[in-house]
Amino acid sequence: MRALSYRGPNWVEVKTKPDPRIEHPDDIVLRITRSAICGSDLHLYSGLVPDTRVGTTFGHEFAGVVEEVGPGVESLKRGDRVVVPFNIACGTCFFCERGLTSVCDRSNTANELVGGVFGYSHTTGGYDGGQAEYVRVPYADVGPTKIPDDMEFEDVLFLSDILPTGYQAAEMGSIKPGDTVAIFGAGPVGLFTAKSAWLMGAGRVIIIDHYDYRLEFARNYTKAEILDYREAGGHDVVGRLRKMTEGRGPDVCIDAVGCEASGSVLNKVTGKAKLQAGSPTGLYWAVQSVRRAGHVVAIGVYGPPWNLVPLGELMNKGITLRAAQCSVKRYQPHLLEHIRAGRIDAKGIITHRAPLDAAPDLYHLFQHKLDDCVKCVLVPNAA
Amino acid sequence: MQQSDIIGWGADASFEKRPGVPEERHPPKPLVEIAGYPQQTLGTPSAKSYYRPLTAVYGTAVPLRGLSGVIRRIAYRVPDYKPRRWMLLMLADRVDVIEHNALPLTLGVGAIAAGVLGVRALSKR
Repeated sequence: MRALSYRGPNWVEVKTKPDPRIEHPDDIVLRITRSAICGSDLHLYSGLVPDTRVGTTFGHEFAGVVEEVGPGVESLKRGDRVVVPFNIACGTCFFCERGLTSVCDRSNTANELVGGVFGYSHTTGGYDGGQAEYVRVPYADVGPTKIPDDMEFEDVLFLSDILPTGYQAAEMGSIKPGDTVAIFGAGPVGLFTAKSAWLMGAGRVIIIDHYDYRLEFARNYTKAEILDYREAGGHDVVGRLRKMTEGRGPDVCIDAVGCEASGSVLNKVTGKAKLQAGSPTGLYWAVQSVRRAGHVVAIGVYGPPWNLVPLGELMNKGITLRAAQCSVKRYQPHLLEHIRAGRIDAKGIITHRAPLDAAPDLYHLFQHKLDDCVKCVLVPNAA
Repeated sequence: MQQSDIIGWGADASFEKRPGVPEERHPPKPLVEIAGYPQQTLGTPSAKSYYRPLTAVYGTAVPLRGLSGVIRRIAYRVPDYKPRRWMLLMLADRVDVIEHNALPLTLGVGAIAAGVLGVRALSKR
């Protein structure tokens, strides 16, 4: 099959690899029809995630058609159309029983930090991802969700990750009707976080970024207020947010950027020099901006071992800090209904579609924010 | 901005409507006994911590190989709460890139060297 293959930092290619196979009775092999490139794939692409091996296939946002079914699989058959959560979860361990499939205890042999994830380095278990023609999907009775007949692949593709991730971020902020919510990052997750904040009754939603086209897209797509931090008095985004909120700061601040944030020379330099795990500027600003006793949420991806975060402010302001990889499965039915009801136009954020062989070009374009790129989708096989 | 302009505004205002509230289901369901769950036998786990049991299902994407594989093997014998593990893995990643892209990297360095020598030769004319 054809599949994306990592060669080194900022270097991927599409090559021929062996087809995946059923390795466990509960596996399926999926023929992929749509596979998105996630902002967090760029952390892999940049070589920031430990144990990203040459030859790995990325991709954890995909949907497709069941091609092959293991003998233990009960709920799926060949030809079923499914969308697959990025988490690989057993559904029965201590954590899965509590709904916390992102920290499944039976899918990652590499460490105690997180459950298995498709195509996200060997730190999350060493599973190949879905930027390929086919992918192996373990625990197939647990993860995949069948796509209703009246919906297309692209309608539900983002139920694999970024829509539930954005929703969970808003939810972890404990948003109450009328709250002011600031979201750092106008990428796809930030956009869905803003949409979710409105669903939860936010009074104001403010999105912070520095790419003009992304801010404009965010304004049109989410109806949120936008703030370009370059224009906020020499990167004084914290002061600007306080001014916008009667001096207090937003009730909820959400970091939807993660470990490659710009805006701070100190963080950028120390992140590049591996003195910390990337640049946590989004989280830094979130802690500084939020009102006393407010909520801060981190859903941008960070890796081990550490980052510079202002713990003194966190403690003295009495901030509630929440963070998590999204436990996607528990959100899929609810969000599918929001899509069906027209409350979220998930596929409306797609700006680029291309065949699988164009993946290296799309990575370059996405990494450098060229051609007004918001979200890239690969089409490995026709639907 | 009038919130009435926003489709679905407040649809999930009630915490009861939010799928992740409470974060943990309460009361938790009884744990399922999966002692009899079949063990994956095909392929070798490509990342196995010394401190983790073998899970019923594991990834087999890219096996340990070469010098980077030796470094990763050492790293996975260090607990994941020690920074040393992650430093070793990052080192192994860089070694991996060099040892598995030797030809293109050599050609690249060669091309740069030839370019530099060419410019120097031209500048001396």
